[in-house]
Amino acid sequence: MTAAAINRLGFVVVALLTLTAPWFLPLLVDSFWVDIYAEMLIWSLLAASVNLLFGYVGLLSFGQALFFGMGMYGVAIGVAKLGLGFWPAFGLGVVMATAMALVAGALAVRLTWHYFAIITVVFSLIFYFAALSWKPLTGGDDGLSFTMPPIVSIGEWELSLTDPTVQYYFIIAIVGICYALMGVILKSPLGSAFRAVKENDHRAALIGLNVYLIRLTAFVIAGFIAGVAGALFAFFGRYASASYMFYHVSGEAVVWAIIGGAGTLLGPIVGTSLLIILREELSHAWEHYLILVGVIVILVVIFAPKGLGGLWQALVRRIARPETPPPSTDAKGEDKP
Amino acid sequence: MLELNAVHAHYGKVHVLQGASLQVQSGEAVGLLGRNGVGKTTTLKTIMGLVKATGGEIMFDGRNLTDIAPHTIPGTGIGYVPQGRGIFPSLSVKENLEIGLTKTPPSQVFDYVFDRFPRLKERLSQPGGTLSGGEQQMLAIARCLVMQPRLLILDEPTEGIMPILVQDIRREIKAVNDAGMSILLVEQNIKTALRLCSRIYIMEKGAVVHQAAAQDLKDDKETLHRYLGVTV
Repeated sequence: MTAAAINRLGFVVVALLTLTAPWFLPLLVDSFWVDIYAEMLIWSLLAASVNLLFGYVGLLSFGQALFFGMGMYGVAIGVAKLGLGFWPAFGLGVVMATAMALVAGALAVRLTWHYFAIITVVFSLIFYFAALSWKPLTGGDDGLSFTMPPIVSIGEWELSLTDPTVQYYFIIAIVGICYALMGVILKSPLGSAFRAVKENDHRAALIGLNVYLIRLTAFVIAGFIAGVAGALFAFFGRYASASYMFYHVSGEAVVWAIIGGAGTLLGPIVGTSLLIILREELSHAWEHYLILVGVIVILVVIFAPKGLGGLWQALVRRIARPETPPPSTDAKGEDKP
Repeated sequence: MLELNAVHAHYGKVHVLQGASLQVQSGEAVGLLGRNGVGKTTTLKTIMGLVKATGGEIMFDGRNLTDIAPHTIPGTGIGYVPQGRGIFPSLSVKENLEIGLTKTPPSQVFDYVFDRFPRLKERLSQPGGTLSGGEQQMLAIARCLVMQPRLLILDEPTEGIMPILVQDIRREIKAVNDAGMSILLVEQNIKTALRLCSRIYIMEKGAVVHQAAAQDLKDDKETLHRYLGVTV
């Protein structure tokens, strides 16, 4: 079996388990794990937005929570303050997050490395404090709650996320669309340009790539993905809160992405799932469970620098039949006489 | 076609290019020689906008390259093969070839490139980083060729490559020049430069100090010894 076939098989198994989770999870564990799983998928999108920037373009953002928060507030303000329906409110959340990413990115992607990381934190903090202080619009510390509008309403018949099964499959559908979109982008010439810029931005400019524009495009797409996650999470919790804009939330997403495997499409789902399960299982029993999370991060960075996704790929390569001819010489590209 | 007039460039406070001037005419192959550290690679990087010219002008087909953004310079018709190949190791051969294209070129362009470098066609899906040094150099040249430049700039294309592939690369550079593409070549291998180029510039201390026809320079042992410390 080739590596691609093993990966396809793995994907099909996980997809089937995800689709049937509302039935089999309650048979094995408590039914609240269905909700937890849906929450993991939403948070994995935030980690995926970090991964898109860090794993594919080489920009480490500690500000993705800003766009997550914008998505949340777009939905909450749309429903609670503007009286919008489900889809317009969803659209408002995503548009607000994407527009914010365009504005923040236009300034931030002129920088790289720690300068870029710092400016993303600064943006995040500015809007966190703005959200806290702008009480009439955001609800300040209390956040902003709203009543769930229906997804579709025909006469007396309504489809709404108040039905847990509808909510679960709605989240799966939106998360699935986002990952499919990222998959298409990463396989397109734009995805190659992302990786080229990550590997060597000077070299990329030498062949005519506009490095600034490519980084900005990635930043806006990542903001869009984080915004979708935030909008989904607002519907999931029926409220928005400034606390989700804080850079600690961005930091968690960075950890999830690194543990899952930066530079692998589905790695963020693995990292997010693992750490949220740990949080749910350990936080009740041990107040200082974050120490264990820290130990796991250190172990993964040392022993599996490409994360659990990279570990999976290495395992698959080991057991799979080779697809390509062996390299001509050594991997350093030096010819041997 | 390409004209450098008294170009200056600095690395911080170090004055590297001190009034370098040279010309490449359409269809011509020109060599740029000199000892290590005289500013040959910096001259090429300044042409490509990677090092900012602090004085003088760099004209290409009537356009001053010092006024435009570096990433737009390849679009003016200049292909650059940097020292050390400059491919993207994690991208496949196919992705490396297509990465710089703004529109799909006619299929004959790829046919032409694969005729020149058939090894690449066999390895299209292989990551660039797993190719041998010679194949990586072929890929770097091929990546420029698919962009159909009018001037190809090569920085030590035969450095660190096994002799049999050096011959291949030398032959293909000659072939693209015979097909009408202009060449500006920086080489440590004097024999390669003298064989491929019709005209040679010699640099010293950041400026061009001598120019001659390759044929004349071959017989000018004193100049070769004085500026390059070699005899051919």
